[in-house]
Parts: sequence; structure tokens; C-alpha cells
Amino acid sequence: MNETIKTTKTVLHAQNVRKSFGTRSNVQQVLKGIDLRVAEGEFVGIMGASGAGKTTLLNVLATIDRTTEGSILIEGSDISKMKDAELSAFRRNKLGFIFQDYNLLDTLTVKENILLPISLGKMKKRVAEEEFNAIADILGIKELANKYPHEISGGQKQRTSAARALINKPSMVFADEPTGALDSKSASSLLGTLEDVNKKRGVTIMMVTHDPLASSYCSRIVFLKDGNIYSELYRGDKTRQVFFQEILKVQGVLGGDSVDTI
Amino acid sequence: MLTLFDLVVRSMRKNIKHYYLYFFALIFSVVLYFVFSTLEQDSAVLDRSGGSMGLAFKVAGILLILIAGIFVVYANAIFLKRRSREIGLYQLIGLSKNKVARLLIIENVLLSAGALIIGIGAGMLVSRLFLLLLMKLIGHEGFITVSFSLAAIIQTIIVFMVISTLTSIQMLFTVRRSTLLGLFNAEKKGEQPKKPRTFRSAVLALLGIGLIVFGYWLSGNMMNKWLLFNMLAVLASTILGTYLVFRVTISWLFYQIRSRKQGHLGLNNSLSLGSLMHRMKGNANSLTIITVLSAMTLTMLAGAYSLYYATEKVTRYVMPYDFMFDEDQQDEEWMERYGFNEVSVEEFEAGLKEKGIAYTTETIELLGVEGTYEKGVFPILIGKMEGIYNTYMVSAKQLQKAGFQVETPKSGTLLLHYAQWGSMLKDIKVPFEVNVTSIEPASAFTAVKYGAGDVVNASWGPQFVVNDADFEKYKSAMDQENMLNISEERVVRNVRVFNVADKGQLAIASGIRNQNRSEGSWSHGIDYYSMYEDSIKVNGLLIFIAGFLGLVFLISTGSILYFKQMTEAEQEKQSYATLRQLGFTVKDIMRGIIRKQVFVFGLPLLIGLLHSIFAIKSASFIFMSDITVPTAIAMGVYALIYLTFAFLTIGYYRKTVKAAL
Repeated sequence: MNETIKTTKTVLHAQNVRKSFGTRSNVQQVLKGIDLRVAEGEFVGIMGASGAGKTTLLNVLATIDRTTEGSILIEGSDISKMKDAELSAFRRNKLGFIFQDYNLLDTLTVKENILLPISLGKMKKRVAEEEFNAIADILGIKELANKYPHEISGGQKQRTSAARALINKPSMVFADEPTGALDSKSASSLLGTLEDVNKKRGVTIMMVTHDPLASSYCSRIVFLKDGNIYSELYRGDKTRQVFFQEILKVQGVLGGDSVDTI
Repeated sequence: MLTLFDLVVRSMRKNIKHYYLYFFALIFSVVLYFVFSTLEQDSAVLDRSGGSMGLAFKVAGILLILIAGIFVVYANAIFLKRRSREIGLYQLIGLSKNKVARLLIIENVLLSAGALIIGIGAGMLVSRLFLLLLMKLIGHEGFITVSFSLAAIIQTIIVFMVISTLTSIQMLFTVRRSTLLGLFNAEKKGEQPKKPRTFRSAVLALLGIGLIVFGYWLSGNMMNKWLLFNMLAVLASTILGTYLVFRVTISWLFYQIRSRKQGHLGLNNSLSLGSLMHRMKGNANSLTIITVLSAMTLTMLAGAYSLYYATEKVTRYVMPYDFMFDEDQQDEEWMERYGFNEVSVEEFEAGLKEKGIAYTTETIELLGVEGTYEKGVFPILIGKMEGIYNTYMVSAKQLQKAGFQVETPKSGTLLLHYAQWGSMLKDIKVPFEVNVTSIEPASAFTAVKYGAGDVVNASWGPQFVVNDADFEKYKSAMDQENMLNISEERVVRNVRVFNVADKGQLAIASGIRNQNRSEGSWSHGIDYYSMYEDSIKVNGLLIFIAGFLGLVFLISTGSILYFKQMTEAEQEKQSYATLRQLGFTVKDIMRGIIRKQVFVFGLPLLIGLLHSIFAIKSASFIFMSDITVPTAIAMGVYALIYLTFAFLTIGYYRKTVKAAL
């Protein structure tokens, strides 16, 4: 299985990514030279203790933040060299985002929220409509199309958010703790759907999470420690339960995380 | 141990960003009120602007207090809402509601005191500027100083103590009534757009527009015996219509547009339409008030400016020549009888020569005539005029010789002139028949034109301008003593008119004319220059007061819109962050936001302008001259200042969007 992944196309290639914060006198290096390659169709989980640099890595890879050093290629384009406007266009056309607190626009209906990312594109209304129907079907939120965010549950909101991330057929979807605000049932249902989307539509997903259960849906886990990659785990043909146990083990060695798990 | 006062100081320091908004609102109100009361208290101002204007100042002062009060209370309400989370936090950590209220009130008192000190200080600096402006407007030249007015300071302090008591009570109520949960959610509150009940909304939506249209129509057709009732109906209909437009029509329209999009809203509409619909209910009231206030202000400004702008022209309507002497009334006996003490024509001419003032002079004959007008030609407002009384016939040739610009009417036709009827006759239909019956046989004329101004100074009745042949014919017929019921002394009046060549010497000439006139006494022979001086004083003060109030209204309404939009921008910050993460640039987002601002600022301005145009139009009979130019100027200036608030708002949004990611 590992062999097949390695032979497929690389979607994201990060080399020696470093990120520092703070002023000249008080520099704090959060990412200390990360090398990471993500192949098409992978579902990568990023885990690590608080302060390990998970969210920073995600932000940097997702073009929301800039690196201090190093290069990041997504589908062959070097995003570290792009200007702000180019980055925006890149995000809009190539990437999808799912956030912990959904980040839906309260003023828009579910459907309007989902269609937002393609609103500046030149997509025909008919095509957009088909695209919407297809995705809303997969995520099971078609009946909610005309509801406002305040009228639906957290799980439904996160599904809407996921649909919005997928509508522009992104090269890659970034998810930051997508299950962080959900109850366990909604969480596993959402993760099941993401896994489904990953397998059936071949969407590449990168997900930051604290939760070993959530990460057990991934095909690979990258563990961060103090700004470096500590280890990696591939799920391969293992069942989710077995994979989950393995993740727990690594987490145990890594330590620290159980303290701040909410 | 932290005392309550320490807490106040700390929270004020931390909140300075939120405070400055409210603080500036307060300072601004203090400055304007202080300037106004300084001018009001200054006796020199009152003397120079004509004593009777004291009342105008008083009324304007009361209006100013009202506006300042409403504005400060409104700003305070917005300010409190923005701080509701903080108020909630204080309660959460165990401060009692009373303590929280006391904290807020101490802050308020400190702020008000600060605003008073700064405001009065700034007011002292700028009051001189305003005084100079006022003096320029009323045509006073020369040096004057503003006297330091303790009374104005005390008056300002009292007014703002009352206002800050009001805001303190408002704070007390807000804290007392609030629940913790409500406080933490207050910032997020915004109604969700509901599906309007189609039929009812459609009916109300159309009713709103219908009411406004009806109001406009009625405003052009209210000149009958129901005038007062009509005026009230126009007001009620337009205001209610405006409210319905903002409350129902627009929501209904928006809903129609949105459902037609079937979810494909696009970024621009998401940021404008979506955001507007989200808050339409809450905004309907303030938008209505702002529209109505704008309309009022615009009408007031345009009206006052039109009067001021046309002062010279209107004075010329009544005083076409610089000076005029009624020769009949020059005799000693007559003057004694009526208690006048006038210079004679000879004395006046001698005076002019002595001062080296070049002039032209001419004698004009006025024939007193009577008769009837054709039925139903005069509008209802000046009465169903049918009889001709107190009317003079004048020869066009004599007028032309005297320097009056007038065409020569054809034989058997006449030009009707009368300044007092002013523009009430602007739309009178000519020709109509005029039957002059003061001699036998009666002769019929056709009135072919209405000229707004008088053809001689201070005419006490309408004037018929005819050609010289008709005039001479009529005059000789009158000499044959076959006229009916007209008193002898009114048959022929000779008047001498004077025009000074260099208008810069008018003041000196007027001095010669009025040298015997004692201060304050009314004189029959008032001249062009004196009348202009008097009018410019009244109109100058009027435009000053209107402009002052207008500025206060304008800045208040502009600030309220700005404050509201600031709050909205903060509420939607998260949305902007999300949009930027999704890959929309600041430019993309600003495009949608600008579209929203075009609506928020543009619509009240547009409707307000429309309202005021109709209001001015319906009141145009007050104005003798054409008011298009001054109205356009006044409205243009208003719109310009108003739009700066829109630009400020857009600037604030841009900052918010930029900082969002």
C-alpha cells in the first residue's frame, strides 16, 4: 500500500519550512525545518502537543501565513514566492478549508455559504447547481439548503463548512480541528463522511487534531514535537481500531498532550 | 485592594478606543451649543442683526438642545451595546448590578466633565470664527470682538448636566434590565431574515410607495381652503410612507431578488444584500429618522439659502430705482399731516451734486384706474380677485426712459406687474381680459404677460404697463372728468425716480436721502439701499441659524450612521476573516461593502433629497425669484458633507477587513 502512495502524484511538497515569531531580540522558532510530502488522495493527520506547531504548520501550508524560510510547492507552484493577491486567488481556486468553529456567514443560508467560494469564478449557474447538488448529497445536507446557520445543529454546520471546502474541487482540503466543537456522534459521522469523500472522490485532506479517535480516520499521521517531525504512522490495511491503538502508543511516548485535551 | 474608582480609571484607560467615539460626540455637541449660546447672549450680535431676531435665536436654541440631547443619548445607547460584554464580565466576577451601574455613571460623569471643559475651550476658540461668519452674512463690516460670556458657559454647563443625567439614567436602566446571557449575546444579536408573508408584504410594500407618491402629489395641490389640513396630511403621508419603504418595501424587494438568485448570491450580494437583510428590522427606524431629518434639514437650508441668495434681486423687485420721490407727497402740508420729515427733491439733488455723485432722474406718471378682471384667472391663494382697485396705469415709454427694462406692449394689451403677488402668479395663464371701467366708456385690455417685479418703487397696488399711445389716450380721457367713483387725488400721481450711476456710492446717497430720518422711525420714502440693508440682516441671520442647525443635524445623522456601521463592521469581523481565508482579497470584499454603504448612506440621502425638493416646490410661492440655483447649491453642499461620513465609514471597514486576517 505504501508503495502505491509513493508512486502517485505529489500534491504538496514542503522543504525545510521554518517559522519564527517575535521581535529581533526575542525570536521564538515554532517550526524548525519541516520536510513533508503529501501525495494525491492522502488523508494526512497532524498531531502533537499544544505548542508543537500544528496550527502554525497548517496555516503556513494553507497559505494563510508565510514561512520565515523554506519552500512549499502545491501542485508544482511555489506558494512561498507568491504575492498576497496571487495567494488569495490560489486559495480560492486550489484549496478548501474546514474550521473548528465552522466560520459560516450568519447572514447567508446553507446553500449561499456553500456556493460562496465559487462566486467570483466564471462557473455557469447550471454547472454550479449540479456541483452543489452532488456535494450536498454526499454530505446529506440538501434539505437544509435554505436554512440559516442559526437554525441547524453543530454537526450540520460542520457539514456545510465541509461542503463549502469541497465546492471548488480543491487540490487539497485543510481542516483545523474540525471535530473540536462537536459531540462524539456528530464527530464520527463527519469523519466518516470525510473519509468517504477522500476515498471516493480522491480529495487530498490534511487535518490538524488533538483527538486520536479523529486521527484514526486518516491514512497517515504526522507527529510534531517542538517544531520538528517526530514520527509518522501509516494506516495501511490496518483496521481503524488497530490504527487507533498505535496512535495512542505514539501519543503516550510523545506525552504532554493528554493534559490539554479538552 | 482595588477601589471602584481605580476600576473606573483602569477601564477607561483600556477602553479608550471605544470611548473616543462617544467622547467626540459629546465634545462636538458641547462646542456647537456653547458657540450658539455665546452668540445668543452677545447683545452686540442681536443689535446688529435686528432686534426682532432674538426669537429666532431662542427657537433655534431649543431645537439645538433637543438634537444634541437625542444625539448624545443615541450615541450612548450604541456605546453601551458595544460594551455589553464588559458589563456582563463585571457581573460575572461578582460585582452587583448597582456597583456596575455606579461604575458606569462615574465614568460618564468624568467623561461629561472632560467633554465640557474641552468643548467650552474649543468653543471659545471657534466662536469668533462663527461670529465673523455671521457678521459677513448680515453685511456688517468692521471690527467686532466676542465678549467672554459667563452666562453662555453657565447655560452650556446646565444643559449638559441635564443631558449627562439623562445618559446616567439610561445606563442605570440598561444595567438593571439586562440579563447576563443577554449581555454576552448582545453584540451578536441580529435578526434572521424571515420569509415575508407574501401577500401582506406586497400590499404594504406598495402602500409605502403609494403614500409617498400621494404625499408628493398633494404637496403640489394643497392650495385650497384645507391648506393646514393638507399640510399635515402631506407630512403624515410622506413620513409613514418613508417608514414603510424602509421597513417593508425594501425587505420585500430584497427578498424577491434573493430568492430569484436561488442560492447563487455571489460575493458582492453576500456582503451587501445578505448583511442588510440581516439587520433591516433594526435599521428601519434609524434610516427613517435619518431620512426625515435630512429632508427637513435640506428644506430648511435650501429655503433659507434661497432667501439669502435672492435678497438683492427681490429687493430690486420692490425697488426698481435707487430712489423715488412722490411729488404729491412732497408738500409741507401733507408731510405735516402724516408726521413725515423728508428731504425734498431739491435738497436731495443738491446733496448728490455736492458729494459729486453722478445720477439720472426721470418723472413717471401713474394713472389710478379701477375695473374688473376676467373671472377665475387668479389662484385661490390671493383670493378670488375680480375687482381692480388701487391700481396704476403706466406708460412703457416713460419707464424705458427712466432706465427700467420693459418691452412695449401692443395697442390694447397690457403687462401686469405686482411684486407683492410675487411668484404666486408665476403660473398664471395669459392672456386674460382686463376691463378698465374708471372712465366712460369702459375700455377692454388684454393682459399678455405677468411681470414679477414692480415698475415703480414701493407701489401699493398692481401696475398696468401699456404703450404710450394707449396711455396718452387714457390720460386725456381722464382729464375730461368723465371718470367714475375715483377720488381726485388718485387720478394722476407724478413720481420722480433717481438712479445713481456708481452703485458703490449708494450708501452715501442713501445717507443724504435719509438725513432727516430719526432712528427707528418708519419712513414712507424708504430707498433701495436701506431696504437691502434691512433684508440682508434678516436673511443673513436666517441662513446663519439654518446653516448652524443644519450642520448640527447633518453631523448628528452622519455620526449615527457611522457609529452604527462601526458596530456592524465589528460584528462581521469574523465573516471577513473567513472570507479572506477562503481566498477573497481585501479588494474583493471591499467591493461588496461599498455596495452596502451606497445603500446605507445613499438611500436616505436620495429619499431625503426627493422629499425636500417636493417640499421646496410646494413652498415656492414664498420665493419671488427662481430658486433652482440656490437650492442646488445648498443641496450639493449638504450631500458633500454627508458623503464624507460615508467615506469615513468605508475607511473604517477597510481597516477592519485588513486587520481581520
